Amino acid sequence: MLFPDIPEAAVWAIYFAPIASFVAIVAFLRSRPLLAGRITIAAVFVAWLLAVWALDTVSGHDGESVGFASHHWMSLFEFEVDLGIRLDGLSAMMLFVVTSISLLVQIYSTGYMAGDGGYARFFAFMSLFTAAMLGLVMSSSLLQLFVHWELVGLTSYLLIGFWFHKPSAAAAAKKAFIVTRFGDFGFMLAVILIWSKTHTFDIFEINEAVHHLPRAVVAGFVVGLLSGAAGKSAQFPLHFWLPDAMEGPTPVSSIVHSATMVAAGVYLLARFFPAVHAAPGGIQMLIAYTGGFTAIFAASMGIVATDIKRVLAYSTISQLGYMVMALGLGGYPAAMFHLFTHAFFKSLLFQGAGSVSHATNTFEMPLMGGLRKHMPITFITFVIGALSLSGIFPLAGFWSKDEILLDAWKHDKFLFAIATTVAFMTALYMFRAIFMTFFGEYKGGAPAEDHGSSHDAPDAHATASTDAHGGHGGLHESPRSMTFPLIMLSIPAIFFGLIAPSGFFGELMEGALDPSLRHFHFEIEPVVLVTSTVAALGGIAAAAAIYYAQMPSSSMIRSRLGPLPRVVERLYLVNEIAETGMVRGVLQGAGRGAALIDKYLVDGAVNMAGYATRFAGDMLRRGQTGQVQANTSLMLIGVVAAASTLMALSGGLIERVSPGLLDRLMP
Amino acid sequence: MLTLFLLLPLAGALLAIALPAHREGEAKIIALCFSALNLAIAVVMYVVFDRGVEGYQFVDRFEWITGADAGFSVQYVVGVDGLSAPLIVLLGLLSVVSVLVSWNIDLKPKQYFAWLLILESAVAGVFLSLDLIQFFLFWELELLPMFFLISQWGSGRRLYSATKFLLYTLAGSALMLVGFLVIGFGAHTFDIEALTKAPPQETVVPLAIVFWAIMLAFLVKLPVFPLHTWLPDAHTDAPTAVSVMLAGVLLKMGGYGILRIVLPLMPNEVHDFSKVLATIAGFSVIWGAIITLRQTDLKRLVAYSSVSHMGYVLLGVSALGPVGLSGAALQMFTHGCITGLLFVMVGMIYDRTHTREISQLRGLMHHMPLIGTVFIVAGLASLGLPAMSGFVAEITVFLGSMGPHPAATMAAVFGVVLSAGYILWTIERILHGPKTHDFHDLTDARKWWELTAMGILVVAIIGVGIWPAVLTDTVRMGIEPIAKIVEAAS
Repeated sequence: MLFPDIPEAAVWAIYFAPIASFVAIVAFLRSRPLLAGRITIAAVFVAWLLAVWALDTVSGHDGESVGFASHHWMSLFEFEVDLGIRLDGLSAMMLFVVTSISLLVQIYSTGYMAGDGGYARFFAFMSLFTAAMLGLVMSSSLLQLFVHWELVGLTSYLLIGFWFHKPSAAAAAKKAFIVTRFGDFGFMLAVILIWSKTHTFDIFEINEAVHHLPRAVVAGFVVGLLSGAAGKSAQFPLHFWLPDAMEGPTPVSSIVHSATMVAAGVYLLARFFPAVHAAPGGIQMLIAYTGGFTAIFAASMGIVATDIKRVLAYSTISQLGYMVMALGLGGYPAAMFHLFTHAFFKSLLFQGAGSVSHATNTFEMPLMGGLRKHMPITFITFVIGALSLSGIFPLAGFWSKDEILLDAWKHDKFLFAIATTVAFMTALYMFRAIFMTFFGEYKGGAPAEDHGSSHDAPDAHATASTDAHGGHGGLHESPRSMTFPLIMLSIPAIFFGLIAPSGFFGELMEGALDPSLRHFHFEIEPVVLVTSTVAALGGIAAAAAIYYAQMPSSSMIRSRLGPLPRVVERLYLVNEIAETGMVRGVLQGAGRGAALIDKYLVDGAVNMAGYATRFAGDMLRRGQTGQVQANTSLMLIGVVAAASTLMALSGGLIERVSPGLLDRLMP
Repeated sequence: MLTLFLLLPLAGALLAIALPAHREGEAKIIALCFSALNLAIAVVMYVVFDRGVEGYQFVDRFEWITGADAGFSVQYVVGVDGLSAPLIVLLGLLSVVSVLVSWNIDLKPKQYFAWLLILESAVAGVFLSLDLIQFFLFWELELLPMFFLISQWGSGRRLYSATKFLLYTLAGSALMLVGFLVIGFGAHTFDIEALTKAPPQETVVPLAIVFWAIMLAFLVKLPVFPLHTWLPDAHTDAPTAVSVMLAGVLLKMGGYGILRIVLPLMPNEVHDFSKVLATIAGFSVIWGAIITLRQTDLKRLVAYSSVSHMGYVLLGVSALGPVGLSGAALQMFTHGCITGLLFVMVGMIYDRTHTREISQLRGLMHHMPLIGTVFIVAGLASLGLPAMSGFVAEITVFLGSMGPHPAATMAAVFGVVLSAGYILWTIERILHGPKTHDFHDLTDARKWWELTAMGILVVAIIGVGIWPAVLTDTVRMGIEPIAKIVEAAS
């Protein structure tokens, strides 16, 4: 601990700094894009400095919560909401991760987004995203967390659809929002359920209260959280929005859809780890197997994808599956450690992919190749990221992945087998990507698009094409604003794992928990160590054999496997089932049916009543002959009839129903 | 003060009618002045409103028809409490907005603006009346301007829609009058405050029947399935300003009536039928949302989404606890702002493109970024995004109704997912996508009245979303006495 304890106002400033830059850009800087970028960087830098201070304070407290009072926001009878900050090991770590990556991504974006017509809008959205994400992790109240959870979803929507002129981007944005909202349906029910049982939103109090609640309530609450987490963290069966989300600009993928927002689901389960822990064993199994299945399922799709960003997207889903699995197995520190290291190397890999496309105008790996000579910094940093992700000693990913594998080894051998297979597949698809992109011959990239006077430059954008002098001459290393973050991110990707053996990180995380739940100590299991390293090296070797040496070549393997690769390439038809089956079939069908019923049955009945009245009116009109004799005689009959009825009833019926009514009506 | 609020628009209407023919264009200026003045009164009233005491404030009262022999009299009483105060502000807001969005009306402007002002007055009467007969009179008075505004200045099958609206409401209100009379005769008073203190114990007709007679009128107005089919027609054929008023404040008369009259006067019956009401509400939310998914006309889409969103009001009411009731009150205010804004935006798009067919609109964001942005803001508010007022209201309703009606609540929460579906689908279709040449000469919103109309509502929506206490502290004072009566009856 180097500094005095951080005051509450300074922690709020972490949150309000990016909000201030958002407001400033929207209000004043729409037409001054360069300044917008700089303001954003400055604001996030301030937030980063303060986040480091917060982390320092918390580590001085051994990860235990720094008690800040909460502030009244609104109250309606029992429905009271207080807003506050919960600063403990878990949230301080997240603040550090979010601000670090956000800072580097903003710097990267000044290069990547240069010349884009929506430059200022981009930084406004990025500021808003950063603020929402920071608000999410520092919330002391479940409702506060939920509010920011939704705002993060909103900014994700806005950023995926940033190039809304592309129909694919607009569709992907909509899909991401709706699919995650589907998960939020469960999350919202969990919020409502837990409030109706405990009448509090305070995260700490809820985590205490779960020990006294009926098991069914806890189970329902945790399943609701899992549903929300599955939506945000793209876990099966709500995973299919994330690959499409790659339609957004690459800096967005690098922060929102790899390092931070998609980790929010994992964070949610970790934040409520005491509740997860108190849930019935079956629910914990459900969480673990959801994660395990997602991990292997997504990894298999990563092997066949040809778009480098999609490979990384599947990899992200797969790695998030690891974390969810670890949480289900009770491995809370391991899950958080992997979240921590993964954020850095996955952000690095995405930025590497963006750098590659900056040169080649495409994300399609079959159109690349041989880039290592032209883009040495991108190449080296990308390999560092890939090695770290594959779990090669002593890089960061090795340490965090091994902790997860160790938890699986201790609790569930079947999941351990799956996780080890995933480790093999991870190394395979990452090095497949490296060999296809950086080795062999350059295949020419994509032709530079002619943008004319339009400022809406698509992803592989204008500066790349103006630099191009045809053929290989266009290949170039990216500008310094882009290589600097790559280099900076390789540092944590290499070294951050080395804190593992000290046990510092695990203790920091467990400080957020009740003392009875703390049992982290660093250990090494030789079996796990050896199998995981063998699996990773095997994956790299297989990738080298197939995609570098070409023996056996990938087409040969494909032909041996029959229809399987095609099924995997079609993403196991999940898109088709979800879109055609659920949306088109069920919802549209229900909509059509309901609309027909509404039109013909409900409204038809109304119109029928109208026609019937008119018909009756027509009939009665016939009676209105206008002859005085007829009218008078009819009137006479009517009066007599009415009078006799009244008289008959006056003594009997009315008196019985309501004594004294007639006296009151006719005094 | 409240009497002034009630009469000012009428005075404005008279003044507008009195304009000589060659100066009829100035009617809009008169309308704007009077509605703005009324908004100022509403805001002052809201600020001065004492949030420390229950009961009615700013009460004006005088005997109108004395009938001391019969033991009761009809009187003129107006007053506000925490329930009606926000609705009065909403009415003031939307009246100004509806005058602003009518700025281009040149067909018989004198009559048009006069009717618009009379409409404001009539609705104000409904929210302010503390006497059943007076309430009923204003309830009926509101039909007149609505009928003429839709049938004269509307489009499409406007006469059909106007008539349908008229007949639906009349059918409901006829029953309501019978119910009021039965209650009034039973308790020897029509004074709502007195009736609230001493609800009638026995009446000529069983109270259960009275309950449904009155409830029907309010459910038609709300509206809920299956009494809703007048709403899409009326909206589709009405001019923009009338849609704003209809969705923004007229539908609230139904929810207000339930909270103000049905609950305090017949708490036992409400308890008996709360399951039925919750079922209707949950079904209405889902039914409205599913049909909304199929709409191809922007205005019909917003209209059907109203059916879905007003279901939340009924769900909150059926919960019968203070939280649920507050949620219903909040939802009325917030739905008024949000749907009002959506109709304003649809109107602006229609003014420029001359179509409301979603299939014919695309890529509008390129040509009118401001209109597009505000449309997105309104849409996101409508799908219940936090930091906007819709979320506060919805979560309050759900928290209140989860305990008593879990199934209906789950259905309603699912309605939130569906609303994300139709809102985002609409945004994708009409705003996103490549630039097209069909719309290259369209201009964005630049006129001061357009900017003001959008600005007022955006500020209200986001303001309440970020600082809900501005609304909840007032609503709480209004709901507390009602909730006490209802809870005592259980």
